[in-house]
Amino acid sequence: MKLLEYEAKQIFSEEGIRVPRGVLVGRDDSLPPVTDTIGDSVVVKAQVDVGGRGKAGGVLMADAGTLGETARNLLSAEIKGVPVLKVLIEERLPIEHEYYVSITIDRSKKETVILFADTGGVDIEETARTNPDAIRSVGICPLLPDIPGFLQRELCGSAPAEVRDAVNRLYHVFCAKDALLAEINPLVTTPQGVYAADAKLIIDDNSLARQGITVNRDLTEREKEAEKHGFSYVELDGTIGVIGNGAGLTMATLDLIDHFRGRAANFLDVGGGADQERVCHAVRLVAGMPAVEVVIVNLLGGITRCDEVARGIIAADIPQPVIVRMAGTNEEEGKRLLAERGYRMLGSMDEAVRAAVEATE
Amino acid sequence: MIYGDKNTGVIVQGATGRQGSFHINLMNEYARSVGGRGVVAGVTPGRGGQEVQGVPVYNTVKEALAEHDASASVLFVPARAAGDSIMEAASAGLELVVAITEHIPVHDAMRAIAYAHYCGCAVIGPNCPGLLSPGEQKLGIMPAHLASRGRVGVISRSGTLTYEVVDELTRAGIGQSTVVGIGGDPVIGQTFSDVLARFEEDPETDAVVVIGEVGGNLEEEGVRSTDLPLVAYIAGVTAPPNKRMGHAGAIIEGGEGDAGSKIRRLKDLGVPVASRPSEIPEFVRELL
Repeated sequence: MKLLEYEAKQIFSEEGIRVPRGVLVGRDDSLPPVTDTIGDSVVVKAQVDVGGRGKAGGVLMADAGTLGETARNLLSAEIKGVPVLKVLIEERLPIEHEYYVSITIDRSKKETVILFADTGGVDIEETARTNPDAIRSVGICPLLPDIPGFLQRELCGSAPAEVRDAVNRLYHVFCAKDALLAEINPLVTTPQGVYAADAKLIIDDNSLARQGITVNRDLTEREKEAEKHGFSYVELDGTIGVIGNGAGLTMATLDLIDHFRGRAANFLDVGGGADQERVCHAVRLVAGMPAVEVVIVNLLGGITRCDEVARGIIAADIPQPVIVRMAGTNEEEGKRLLAERGYRMLGSMDEAVRAAVEATE
Repeated sequence: MIYGDKNTGVIVQGATGRQGSFHINLMNEYARSVGGRGVVAGVTPGRGGQEVQGVPVYNTVKEALAEHDASASVLFVPARAAGDSIMEAASAGLELVVAITEHIPVHDAMRAIAYAHYCGCAVIGPNCPGLLSPGEQKLGIMPAHLASRGRVGVISRSGTLTYEVVDELTRAGIGQSTVVGIGGDPVIGQTFSDVLARFEEDPETDAVVVIGEVGGNLEEEGVRSTDLPLVAYIAGVTAPPNKRMGHAGAIIEGGEGDAGSKIRRLKDLGVPVASRPSEIPEFVRELL
């Protein structure tokens, strides 16, 4: 789940990374007397989860005279279609130099990777394209609690020691908060020290519970409903409801629908080991979309048992036709249960998908 | 055989749970049918002294190994404790851990895999169906009746898609040497390269089917690492674009984790890529 800038800054600050003095203001809040506490020269930043926020008008400069109007205008605006519900009003830093630091996971090396550039700011993606050598990277063995000194030097080059320290603190945040991404762009030097002028933090969805996060805000209402039952669920714009088990098989089913020139309305991966009740919820959720004319269930039982799935399909009792393809663990029992109730079953994935596409023509 | 054979002794961690006990039974049914040893002990902390499906349960892996000869573990431990259990198995000296568990926090997986590597233990998974060498051994949850013994290896990031492809191969009369589900998580232990290296040394494997999906570049890395004849299939061509991981993710993956560009790069490397699972058998036949 992506955190907003002010939330990430709160966490960075707890780890000893200096952040600008700031005040969060919502749509219904009255403007506090910020100029007393953070000065006359401020930045007003929209708290929206949108890339390229600055270029889209989400970061505005203001002073004591213009602050009220600037904040009100931004709070009634949309940035790339996302309404601005909160703004962060921050002191404007006397920036001497901007750096870029980003920490993520390198899948193929199975370790943390830290990227660092001597020039930060809004154009880092452009830098990555035109001058990739300007971005240095080091990998960190996951068993290490700190970035070793030699790697700090290799990564940060001639940047001041306080910058290296901030990078190491960010690494602590990355590990302690189960992050998939922790980023400061820019990390700035000022006469008063080093500051995280911006902050980005994405938490691993599999770790939300132990990070004390109860609601995944990245999900839509139906996706939240799906997640409650442990499903991966995505809505599309076609007419065939798709249920599979396993992301790969479910994705392959979508690809095959496309191959036979049909259009999927959604897809739902029931995950491993789904029981009767979960399958029943899954079928109802998928069939609950008004556009769905037919539902295809493509199931290969491993840890999931075909008989449980069959009971779930029967219990869901949806009005649309259900075309089932099942094989694997407890296949015979599952097929027997469905056959008794007259469900249509096909032997191969190709046949089942073709039948579902034909049913919508 | 690339990860043991019918003589391999197996421990199941998370033995007393619903999935653990169910699959101990299926693994041992399979072991009996091929004359193998199968699951010799279970481990669940606090449940030592119990039995599951006739298999004795111990509190720790070390206690189990004091009483039984085993070199591999299959893990059905809940996600929050699974990283710890992988490290326990590696520390106790097991050579192989097959982690079936899904939803393990990626930092736990990364740490556990690094620790296992340090101990000399290979990890398959997490979030995987495990492996099956038809006629020899089954470590995990693959439906064994879909498979048949033969000379084609299968490596897959997707559990159920593996069964699909194995089913297609078997029905086309093409048997498998070993089928390995390496798992769909961002960080996994054995990758395509690792498994392909073992297949290269395996006199019973003539060709390999590589089943990938959107995300990362492990498929390409694997293909570049081997001289074995390969057929590939990549799922997710029509998947809606994943939520991006921000700058760093985009920079590292070069924005090229999507299925379409992955398929193009595999074809550029001379690997035939099937457009749907049912095409795989004829592609394989052309290689043999």
